[in-house]
Amino acid sequence: MASSSPKSKPSDEELMDAYVDGDEAAFRALFERYAPILLRLTRRHLRNEELAEEIVQQTFFRLHGARNDFRRGSKLRPWVMTIAMNLVREHWRRTKRRKMTNLEVETQAAPEADFMPIELRQRSELLHVALEKLPASQREVVELHWFQERPYAEVARIVGTSEGAVRVRAHRAYATLKQLLVLEIRGDE
Amino acid sequence: MTSGSNRPDDGLGERLRELDAPDTLGNGELMDRMFADVKAKCDKSDRTVPGILRSRSTMARRLIVLGVFAVLAVVGWFAFPLVGDQARTIQWTTSLVTFSILLLIAMFMVTRPVHLPALPQWQSVCLICIALGATALAAFWPHPAAQAAANGEAGGVMVGACMGVGLLLGVPVYALLRLVDRGNAFGSLVAAAAAGLAGNFVLKAHCTVPGTSHELLGHASVAVLFVVGLGLVHRFVPAK
Repeated sequence: MASSSPKSKPSDEELMDAYVDGDEAAFRALFERYAPILLRLTRRHLRNEELAEEIVQQTFFRLHGARNDFRRGSKLRPWVMTIAMNLVREHWRRTKRRKMTNLEVETQAAPEADFMPIELRQRSELLHVALEKLPASQREVVELHWFQERPYAEVARIVGTSEGAVRVRAHRAYATLKQLLVLEIRGDE
Repeated sequence: MTSGSNRPDDGLGERLRELDAPDTLGNGELMDRMFADVKAKCDKSDRTVPGILRSRSTMARRLIVLGVFAVLAVVGWFAFPLVGDQARTIQWTTSLVTFSILLLIAMFMVTRPVHLPALPQWQSVCLICIALGATALAAFWPHPAAQAAANGEAGGVMVGACMGVGLLLGVPVYALLRLVDRGNAFGSLVAAAAAGLAGNFVLKAHCTVPGTSHELLGHASVAVLFVVGLGLVHRFVPAK
C-alpha cells in the first residue's frame, strides 16, 4: 500500500529509516498506516476488540524494540506482519482459546457488525464462522494472501514455511470456505 | 492485488471483501488512544536496563551475551582449580564441549529476532530435553576410580553444596538471557535450560567429588530444578 505512494508521501521503508534515526514523527506515521490494517487482522483472528487492540499495541512495541535490526533496503510490511502473526499464534498457544471460539462466535458480534445491514451482518457472521473452522495454519495463510494481498513467497517468509506448503494450505482453505458457503446457501434455500 | 496466484473466484472473493470492510466510526480517536499507550510503553521501556538491552540489534545482543559468557568462563577457569589431570578424560572434555554447544544454541534461540517467524514449539522442547539428557548422561561419565578412591565418601555430603553452587551460577546466565530476550515463545524455559547447562559446565570443570550418584543429585539436578521450577512459574503465573 504505502510503498507505492505519491512523491510527497514517504514509503514505509523511508519512514522506518527515519524512525531508526530518531524521528519520532515517523513512528506515528507508521502507526497510522499499519494500525488499522493490523486491527482488522487481529479482530478477524481473535474476535475480541480489547485483545485485538492489545496485540496491535504489542506489535508496535516489539517493532520499536527491534528497530535497530531493520536494514536499509528491507521491506517493512513482512516485518510488521510477522511480528503480529507471531503474537496472534503466541496468544492462541497461551490461552488455548481455539477450543472456546465456537462459544464466543455465538456470543460475540463481529466488530464491524454495528455498521452493517442485517443481511450483510448475517453473511459476515457466517463467513466469520467458516473462517474460524479452518485450522490456524490455513487461516493465517488466507489472512495474509487474501486480506493482506501478499504474494505466496512473502506469505511463506512470514509464516516460516515453503512457498509450496503455503500454496497447498491456501488451496485447501479456499476449497473448504467455498464448500462451507455452498452448504450455507443450500441451507438458506 | 496479488498477481499470478490462485485467488478464490468472485463469489468467495466478494464475501471475503465484506469481512475486510474498514470501519470508519471513531477510528481517529481509537488510534490516538492506542498510539499514546504504545508511545508511553516504549518511552518507559527505553528508560529500563532490559529495554535498552533488548533494543540493541540482534548482533549486538548476541555479542553482549557471548562477551559475558566468555568473561565468566575465563575468570572461572583460571580463578578456581580445575579437576585433577587424571580426571581430564575424553569424556570430561566431551561433556564440556557438549554443554558449550547447547548453551550457544540456547543463546541463539533466546536472542532470535522477533521479525522472523517464531520457532516451532517442538524445537524449544527438544533443546530443553537434550540439555537435561546431556547433564544426566554426563553424570554417568564420572571421574576415574583412582580419583574416586582418593576422595573417599565425600560425595554424599557435597551434593547440597554442588547443587547450591550450580544454582547460584545459573542465575546470572538466566538473568542475562532474559534481559536480552525480546519475548520469544518458550524463551524463559530455554533460558532456564541454558542456566542449568552453565551450572553443570562449571561443576563438571571444577568439582573433584567423584561418583555417578553425586553428579546426578548434585549436578544434573541443577538443570532439572531450573527447568521444572521456571516451568511451574511459567505455568501458574499468568504472562503479561
